[in-house]
Amino acid sequence: MVGLFASLKWTLVTSRLRRSSRAVRAWTIVLLVVVLAVLLFIAFGLSQLRRVPDVAPLVVTGLYVAQLLGWALMPLVAFGVDETVDPQRFALLPLRAQTLQRGLLVTAVVGWLPVANIIVMIGAVISTSSPWALLPVALIAAGIQLITCVVLSRAAATAMSSLMASRRGRDLGVLVGFVLVAGYVALSALLNSGSGQNFLTEGAGRAAKVLGWTPPGALASLPYRLATGQYGAAALGLVIALVALGLVWWWWGRALHVRLTTVSSTSESGGAGASTLSASAGSATGTAAMARLVARRDAVLSWRDPMRRLPWLIVLFMAVFWPLVVFRGAAGGLAVFGVILGSLMAGSQSANQFGVEGSGLWLHLTAYADRARARGEVLGHAAAAILPGAVCVLIALVTVSSIGGDWTQTPAAAGVCLAALLGACAISSWVSASLPFAMPQSRKSLFASSVPGQKGRTSGAQVSILLGGLVSALPAAGLAVVSALVDPAWGWLALAVGLLSGAVMLLVAIPATADRYLATGPEILAVVSAGDRV
Amino acid sequence: MSQALPDDPVTRPVNLPRFTETGAVDPKLAGTALALRGLTKAFGARTVVDAVSLDVPAGSFFGLVGPNGAGKTTTLSMVTGLLRPDAGRVFLTGVDVWADPVTAKTRMGVLPDGLKLFERLSGKELLGYLGRLRGIAPEVVDQRAGELLTVLDLADAGDKLVADYSTGMRKKVTLAAALLHTPPVLLLDEPLEAVDPVSARVIRTVLTRFTTNGGTVIFSSHVMALVEELCSHVAVMAAGRIIASGELGQVRGSATSLDDAFMHLVGADDAGTGGLEWLGSSQA
Repeated sequence: MVGLFASLKWTLVTSRLRRSSRAVRAWTIVLLVVVLAVLLFIAFGLSQLRRVPDVAPLVVTGLYVAQLLGWALMPLVAFGVDETVDPQRFALLPLRAQTLQRGLLVTAVVGWLPVANIIVMIGAVISTSSPWALLPVALIAAGIQLITCVVLSRAAATAMSSLMASRRGRDLGVLVGFVLVAGYVALSALLNSGSGQNFLTEGAGRAAKVLGWTPPGALASLPYRLATGQYGAAALGLVIALVALGLVWWWWGRALHVRLTTVSSTSESGGAGASTLSASAGSATGTAAMARLVARRDAVLSWRDPMRRLPWLIVLFMAVFWPLVVFRGAAGGLAVFGVILGSLMAGSQSANQFGVEGSGLWLHLTAYADRARARGEVLGHAAAAILPGAVCVLIALVTVSSIGGDWTQTPAAAGVCLAALLGACAISSWVSASLPFAMPQSRKSLFASSVPGQKGRTSGAQVSILLGGLVSALPAAGLAVVSALVDPAWGWLALAVGLLSGAVMLLVAIPATADRYLATGPEILAVVSAGDRV
Repeated sequence: MSQALPDDPVTRPVNLPRFTETGAVDPKLAGTALALRGLTKAFGARTVVDAVSLDVPAGSFFGLVGPNGAGKTTTLSMVTGLLRPDAGRVFLTGVDVWADPVTAKTRMGVLPDGLKLFERLSGKELLGYLGRLRGIAPEVVDQRAGELLTVLDLADAGDKLVADYSTGMRKKVTLAAALLHTPPVLLLDEPLEAVDPVSARVIRTVLTRFTTNGGTVIFSSHVMALVEELCSHVAVMAAGRIIASGELGQVRGSATSLDDAFMHLVGADDAGTGGLEWLGSSQA
């Protein structure tokens, strides 16, 4: 039975590759080779820690703890990516819970992610095997660590599977995804700062000692404790790790039993909250009224749908933090130009405006077909991106200039950033109608942005928007260079030109997009409906 | 552009002018809610709808029946403007749907099968939004939406997100959206598929009231008993073609039920027979 489960997982892992075209298969293999090379490089770097036996256990402790946390959180972020995670799919098979549990353990170990983990862990094993006689101990410890990770992940997934199959659970997963991204950026900023260096040298050592008594830390420290004669500590650490493994195994078994023998009581029902859409909106009797109606609907959906809301948090986060992290050393207040990344991201929030709701587009296609309302719809989507986008950009410009204590380049930066915002929005609108793509409607992962068979379209649209936004900022950017090199007063002209060029691009893009949308509505619907199935 | 005779099977490509807001009605189609002329659609080498011509009388309860894959959904998608035909024309209350979509869209209410709604709006918000989108005055929209939600037994769920609706509730709220602007013709694709009996009864009652008041209902289904109970007229579709159409009694002919007539028409009299001698031989 275990072999059958292993073969099922292998089939699932390789099926997408088998079904793809020869070109896609070749690129996938190239990508896998690159990833393998990176992993081998990391493993090699870790193995070099053998030369500093006092530091190796500390680093590996941190690695193992992070690895366990990652596996525990993975079901929240990527539930549904692996079909074998949801035990409900096996509910009708005549299997005993213990047999199913062993089979599912095997399926969890077969896959790209476990293989990547094993490669990195080989480096960790070598780094802690000093002397070499302790290699078998380090290997066994690594094996227990990997099984603990897998079992904990599956236990968490099983316990949460009814939640993750619901809308609220998926919303929670998206939120966790954002926290991980934001946490990573904040940690990078901290470690690159002066106080971060102190943290690395002092605090990390103390933290590693405490973590050394957690199950992953105990396993990472096991060879070192044996090598230094701390047999009691080593035995106690091993007991801690094995007891933890036993507990998570029991938890998984218990969760499986509950999941397979009881009907889910998770209710998806939920109120819409305060209605801000119908109460105050007027009827779409012309372009302006239509724009207000659509912009208001977009605002309501952006607030309620985490897949729309979280990108805005990321926009604000990247607009403010990215210039501070990347350009903090830039002279003459130039760091403020780093806000352009946030501007481009904000402008791109109107991207694929006919595909965000999947086949829900039919509601508009069957409701009207006149130019005035089509222009109003495009304008409304654009306004829903520009208004909050401009607020984000202004907050970022003020914050970065205030922290840097230099406002000389702020007008020029505002011109460049607003041109990029409006330009990216204009290009996003046009690309929405000329190169639409399907967006996964299952809302299972923040990181899933395209559907199989449309990855080329998705990438093409995204690159077009990014490049188009940058190009639209060029006139203002030219004047910004003059402002930086000659006289900051030129920055005010950059601001005026940036606003003007962005506005012109919008004025051209909106009617062109509306006409294209009216002419090719059924074709756009056919493309974006593919997102319903993913 | 010269107008082809509406009763001729026109097979020209549909590269028609799209924005003529004329609302012109062909007098030859008076009394006809829907007229199809040579409607054709192929996906690759497979012709899914093959030069279909059909007349649906105004005020009728019209059933479009056929087995899975017959081309019913593809036909209705072309009629509603959601799928571009390769050839042929569609006249809805005399208006060419693909030449004058602006007028045509005001005259149809649509309930497609399997397409999403705006999931993060509540039922009440969805109706309010769609009514306003059609340019109906806000107070009229709110009054009609409230009545529709009550009649369709959705009043208690009006503030719930559509994402949390059951299949029956989704069909009912979509039907409400289709009725909101009082169109003369309703086009419904499998309106009772996977719907609970209570919701099905509610939908049937509302549709019957709609035709009683002079509206035309055109719906696709593969449940013969339902079509036989509700419809005044029926068209049988198989392999992309209309193989019979007319009043219900006329299509049924001498068969004891529409189901028997349908099986005979699609050549499936022997379906499900032969082979499987081992069935029922289990020793377990």
